Amino acid sequence: MSGKRRNRTIINAFFYSFAGFLFLYSAYLFLSNLDQLFVTEAAIKTREITDIWGEDREILNQFAGGFWKDPYFWKSLNLTLVITLITTLIATILGIPTAYALSRYRIPGKSVVEILFSSLMVMPGSVVGICLIVMFNYGPLWKLQNLLGFKFAHSIFPGMVIASLVLSFAFGMSAWKATFDSINPRFEQVARSLGSSRWRAFRTITFPLAKSGIVAGIILAWTRAMAEFSAVLFFCGTFRELPASRFSDLTKFLQMDQADWVSVAVWAQVEFGNIEYGFALAFVLVLLGGISVYVMHRIGAKGYVW
Amino acid sequence: MIEIANLNGNLGEFHLRDINLKVNKGEYLAILGPTGAGKTVLVEYIAGIYKSDKGNILVDGEDITPLYPEERNIGYVPQDYALFPNLTVKKNIAYGLEARRMPPEQINSIVSEMISRLKIEYIQHRMPLNLSGGEKQRVALGRALTTEPKLLLLDEPLSALDENLRMEMARKLRQLQRDVNGTFIHVCHSFEEASDVADRIALMNDGTIIQTGTLKEVMEAPKNEFVARFMKSQNIFYGLSDGSTVKIGKTVLFRKNPFKGDVLVVIRPENIAIVENENNKGQNVFSGKVENAKRKPYFTEIAVDINPPFVIYSPTEKKYNKGDNIIISIPPEKIVVIEKSDS
Repeated sequence: MSGKRRNRTIINAFFYSFAGFLFLYSAYLFLSNLDQLFVTEAAIKTREITDIWGEDREILNQFAGGFWKDPYFWKSLNLTLVITLITTLIATILGIPTAYALSRYRIPGKSVVEILFSSLMVMPGSVVGICLIVMFNYGPLWKLQNLLGFKFAHSIFPGMVIASLVLSFAFGMSAWKATFDSINPRFEQVARSLGSSRWRAFRTITFPLAKSGIVAGIILAWTRAMAEFSAVLFFCGTFRELPASRFSDLTKFLQMDQADWVSVAVWAQVEFGNIEYGFALAFVLVLLGGISVYVMHRIGAKGYVW
Repeated sequence: MIEIANLNGNLGEFHLRDINLKVNKGEYLAILGPTGAGKTVLVEYIAGIYKSDKGNILVDGEDITPLYPEERNIGYVPQDYALFPNLTVKKNIAYGLEARRMPPEQINSIVSEMISRLKIEYIQHRMPLNLSGGEKQRVALGRALTTEPKLLLLDEPLSALDENLRMEMARKLRQLQRDVNGTFIHVCHSFEEASDVADRIALMNDGTIIQTGTLKEVMEAPKNEFVARFMKSQNIFYGLSDGSTVKIGKTVLFRKNPFKGDVLVVIRPENIAIVENENNKGQNVFSGKVENAKRKPYFTEIAVDINPPFVIYSPTEKKYNKGDNIIISIPPEKIVVIEKSDS
């Protein structure tokens, strides 16, 4: 008996030390370089490096001082938040009815659809990105773009929305479908036998029971969209270096011109040798992700908005 | 009156085949059958959860087959009761009336009346999750009855209750049905439960209805081997008939019947009498040795070998031992002879 108890103590000790190690390591990872956020000569140093490498990028010369003084940073943040919001909205509006239908109705080819969405979740973003490039540059979608007169790839609207939507939709939908699966379909059947319409049965019984699962799905869709990297990079590329004339009035009005998707910007800055700037952007993403999970969790759990 | 005519349905793993059923107004019908017979599926078709492939369901002459569940006015109490977990007991009971957009005062008075009729005042503000099985059942009944449905479907309403409570609830269910003069269809899998509540029973197997009738009719005149076995007629034998006698094993039973050739013979164990007077030499009197005797709550179950072995229920308190010689008498009119079907 005592042996069992000792085993449990050992397992507990192992678990706690492992969790503690993970926590300290991630804290160290993000906090050790915190001072880099406030470095003001970062860009100057970087310019020296690029000079040595024989590169001359006008873009880096514009940055002198803290990253928060750079309009590129604010525009990128704005771009990411607005597109993520649009993506989350679309994923929610399309995903909840799709998840409900997959959970409740007998649809031919249902398992194929489910496997398709599940396999999206285990695919790297780069695969999604290259698939999107091929999909939108050939066949009916290419013809559609010709008809409309603008290209989807390498655009903010709708390119970035499409690229971030794929995985966001797949993750959100898996959460919503699991939620609807867990709710006894008899509730709605009985509600309807009592004279309630299908919609009223959903609104008064299934929806209140599914609330926390729906919020969990929205959190997943939002964070997954914001964290998207390779799909956006493959399908849309970077925008900072494009001349102002390449941007539409709408994107200029929305302060999204000459900016990048934040996670892409992290990569781009590091690629140009501007590691401090990259780190600053990464830190902002960590904060945003953490805050959005926390806020939406609180809202969902305590039922403030519902 | 509810009339189901030639109903067919295909749900993939479950099929309903040519269901024909009539339930009169104010009648209590029990649908009986083994697990997997399609009883629940039939009830779901009647409630409108599935659309039938063929056939019609008529309520008071009106064809409701194309209607949605919400348009049918048929009450449905599933096996797990499916009480809405996000609403209080009172709100659960008021749900159907609110769906009909009744004025709140009227809803309140109907719901209060139903709550007091079912004697559940003490739980009316509680959430369904914390209720006992019996309480849940009463709430589910109340919820289904407030809308005054033309037909109430009860899917194994007593199976979640313990033995004592089950008998009491069966009585109350029967009383409730008489009080509201409702038409009830009650699904169950034991004929004891059906006998407690129902006016008439319908036996189901393999997606179709085999036989309907009162409990007495079905017990005394089973239509085939399945019905005989399901109704626990312990003495079921294959025999050879010549029209006036039937030979089973080495025993010849006198029984006039319209069949010649292979037949099925069914004799209920309670219809076989033990004869005390040894001089009784009537028709169908046999003697044999007791193989086994078991005391049951209301009778003694005796297995006696007269080739073939018979099972007898004796209501007497007399004790029988293995090896005792007894004489039994089988009244010819109690012997059921059924033409042997190929299946």
